[in-house]
Amino acid sequence: MTRQRPLGLGTHIFVPDADAAVAFYSEAFGAAELIRHRLPDGRVLFVELAVGPDKLLLSEEIAELDALAPSSLGGSPVMLLLELEDVDGTFDHAVELGATVEMPVAEMFWGERYGIVRDPFGHHWALCTRREQLAPDEVAERVPAQPTNGTWASE
Amino acid sequence: MSSTSDYPALTTAGFQVLLALASGRSHGYAVMGFVEQLSNGRVRLGPGTLYRTLARLVADELVRESEATDPSAPHDARRRYYELTPRGAQVVREEAELLARLVDAAQTAGLLNGDRRTR
Repeated sequence: MTRQRPLGLGTHIFVPDADAAVAFYSEAFGAAELIRHRLPDGRVLFVELAVGPDKLLLSEEIAELDALAPSSLGGSPVMLLLELEDVDGTFDHAVELGATVEMPVAEMFWGERYGIVRDPFGHHWALCTRREQLAPDEVAERVPAQPTNGTWASE
Repeated sequence: MSSTSDYPALTTAGFQVLLALASGRSHGYAVMGFVEQLSNGRVRLGPGTLYRTLARLVADELVRESEATDPSAPHDARRRYYELTPRGAQVVREEAELLARLVDAAQTAGLLNGDRRTR
């Protein structure tokens, strides 16, 4: 069997209410809706959003398939990474729109300005500047022993 | 000299669609045909890629639907009519200038002359 080089990697998330989610992701994160399909009963089967150069698929919960949102599951172990020019402005705006602060924005040891919010549907978003500012060796020298007070920020 | 557009990055499909519209092609079928012809048949924009690419360009205000569009085909970009916005015209020009510089560099590196065969 040969190992294939994939053509792409995307993210498909589940939410309780697609309209509310599209409104939030558009307003908070600049997403643009490209395509929407519904089931005959009106549930939103999927919406394809463009977020910067990437895509985010979202669907409403389909209980018959056990495809549930974090709010129904009691949490999510997945983090969505969003690279931005203005982390602070987007972070504050997302919180104004109903996101919950999980890690306040700070300069992190790996060279990013970075913070984490939980959106109103339970998905975790890490908002960050570009990752490639430091060489890997420089980051290695700065790795702390553990997080302090719930953050990786040094102070 | 006008300022730069600061548009982050065009995809290959995005550039090709803008190029088709810059050459005066206006509906989706014509854009698909132009891209296929341009690449000697190597690049084929499927209807799904065409739709997504155009929807993204419209959302970014590089392209707008023209008034001739048929509202009965909301997801069929092949049958809809599009035109560049002024910003779209600027972005495609900047991308073409960048590509021209890359092609110049490729020429200088001997990649296009057929005279630098290694081994």
